[in-house]
Amino acid sequence: MGPEVIIYTFILLVFLVVLGVHIGISLGVASVIGVWLAYGDIEIALSILGSTAYEAIRSDALAVIPLFVLMGEVLSRAGAASDLYRLCDAGLKKLPGRLAAATVVGNAAFAAVSGVSIASAATFSRIAYPEMRKLGYDKSYALGVVAGSACLGMLIPPSVLLIIWAILTEGSVGTLFIAGIGPGILLATVFILYNVIAVLLKPSLAPNVPKAKINVSDDQEGKTSSRSWLFGGLGVIALILLVLGGIWRGLFTPTEAAGFGAAGGILIGFLKGMSMRQFLNAVIDAGRTAAPIMFLLISGSMYARLLAVSGGTGMITDFFNSSGLSPFAIIIVMTIIWLLMGMIIDSISIILLTVPIFVPLAIAAGIPEVAFAIYGILIIEAGLLTPPVGLLVYTVKGTVPDKSVTLGEAFKGATPYWGLILLVAILILLFPQIATWLPSKSF
Amino acid sequence: MKSPVKRIAEVIHVISAFWVLVIAGIILVDVLGRQFFNSPLLGAVEIIKNSVVSITFLQLPLAIYSGGMLRTTLLYGAVGPKYQKVLRSLTNILGFLFFAGVAYSSWGPFMEALAINEYEGEGALRVPTYPVRLLVVLTSIFAAFVYIYLMILDWAGRITEDDDTAEMKGAH
Repeated sequence: MGPEVIIYTFILLVFLVVLGVHIGISLGVASVIGVWLAYGDIEIALSILGSTAYEAIRSDALAVIPLFVLMGEVLSRAGAASDLYRLCDAGLKKLPGRLAAATVVGNAAFAAVSGVSIASAATFSRIAYPEMRKLGYDKSYALGVVAGSACLGMLIPPSVLLIIWAILTEGSVGTLFIAGIGPGILLATVFILYNVIAVLLKPSLAPNVPKAKINVSDDQEGKTSSRSWLFGGLGVIALILLVLGGIWRGLFTPTEAAGFGAAGGILIGFLKGMSMRQFLNAVIDAGRTAAPIMFLLISGSMYARLLAVSGGTGMITDFFNSSGLSPFAIIIVMTIIWLLMGMIIDSISIILLTVPIFVPLAIAAGIPEVAFAIYGILIIEAGLLTPPVGLLVYTVKGTVPDKSVTLGEAFKGATPYWGLILLVAILILLFPQIATWLPSKSF
Repeated sequence: MKSPVKRIAEVIHVISAFWVLVIAGIILVDVLGRQFFNSPLLGAVEIIKNSVVSITFLQLPLAIYSGGMLRTTLLYGAVGPKYQKVLRSLTNILGFLFFAGVAYSSWGPFMEALAINEYEGEGALRVPTYPVRLLVVLTSIFAAFVYIYLMILDWAGRITEDDDTAEMKGAH
């Protein structure tokens, strides 16, 4: 059977995913069946299982995932989220809606180190939302900023999404990390401008309580003493700068940066008084988070191999080329697919399912690869906010310690951020330099 | 009481979780040694490479057991308990077949690596490949077993929330 195998396999894959089969297993099973159909030989089909299982993640570059996950886990046990929040709040005294701006920066920094936007949104739902409400901030306004800012974190290295994208496309993790910085700063600025303008237009959204002492509630287990938040918050920011700066200046490979990040995270944690028990739990929980991601990478590689050996990638590219669709129309199609997928599955799975197909198309359409990666991650994250089914909005609604919140209020608040992310994504396609300039200046 | 299956899954999980700390240590020694003493750690790359595979496979059984594997609940959440059980069984059977397939197809390369003394790396440090290949075979057999074990528990009506088998809980 020829490249049309890809179509059957894709249908099977979607079917299995919808039935709730583990996504990694769905990818693996669909790949084996695909190769079987293509070659008519079950031995060949099964052999991709063994060879991929052993080869796919056997790379020192992939140690970045368990190491950065460990760093994030230790930092969050040590109370990094509320530290960052306090630090940002202290730095933004005069700004209208300053708690919202503090949420944007704090959540983005925390999402960057914790690597997963849904987890970060859940944490800030518990930390930032109650504080904003205490000062009389509007419900939807407070909910929206928590959901929106968690997406922002996925652009700021060391984001797991950037790592996975780089690995699937055999690109450089370091380059994508550096490429995320410019767009990340742009998006953060846009978010904060939106916050400020919204408050200036409608001051009731965020009443300005001067000198209000914010009393940030502690993390699940973290203890915050009088000034340790300052140390913790600055420590996390220093760590991000060390990791990024080291990669940018060529001092570290991403793997080495991850090793230092993990060690630095542990150091900060202990200096802040993290107990041995919290530390051990962090190490064990880091494994629970990292293993399923690594498994998805293995099964995602099986699927990528199927696409390659069956000639499926070529067929899809030819199909789009001969369809007479303009590059613009191709982008629109991809964007719609990403937004729709954000309604049912998480961002990592979306990347694994679509990137091996979309990237060759984008290259054929003449879009710079690095800019396309940043565009893709933005759109996929926006998909998690799409009304009325974005997963991230459900997470925020489900975790805020306020039973009176309705889903409608959460979506009402999140939708402007959804629009702003799309806006920045489009800007990146129009001006790829936003993403590509900084990597071109690296050493 | 914890089942022995869960016990084993937990023990190998903990071992591999701490292995990540060892990797961080190796990287520190390697980079600092290179920067300050002009002597990088010999074979650091080989050790890290093989560790990534080993750690992942050692952590999979517990991830499967405790419902850590990612999935969608679009349909699952919309059907009744009887169909939910059917869907859970489907994922368990396919999971079993998948890992059985990984174990089966990894066995040949393992035997071959053992027979021909397959090494990798060059110069002073040469690492044999068979130990990691064997680890993939063994952990895959165990992972396949965990899927079947979960299905048996499920059909025997012995999956409860406090069993930590989040097959019953929501997705991610």
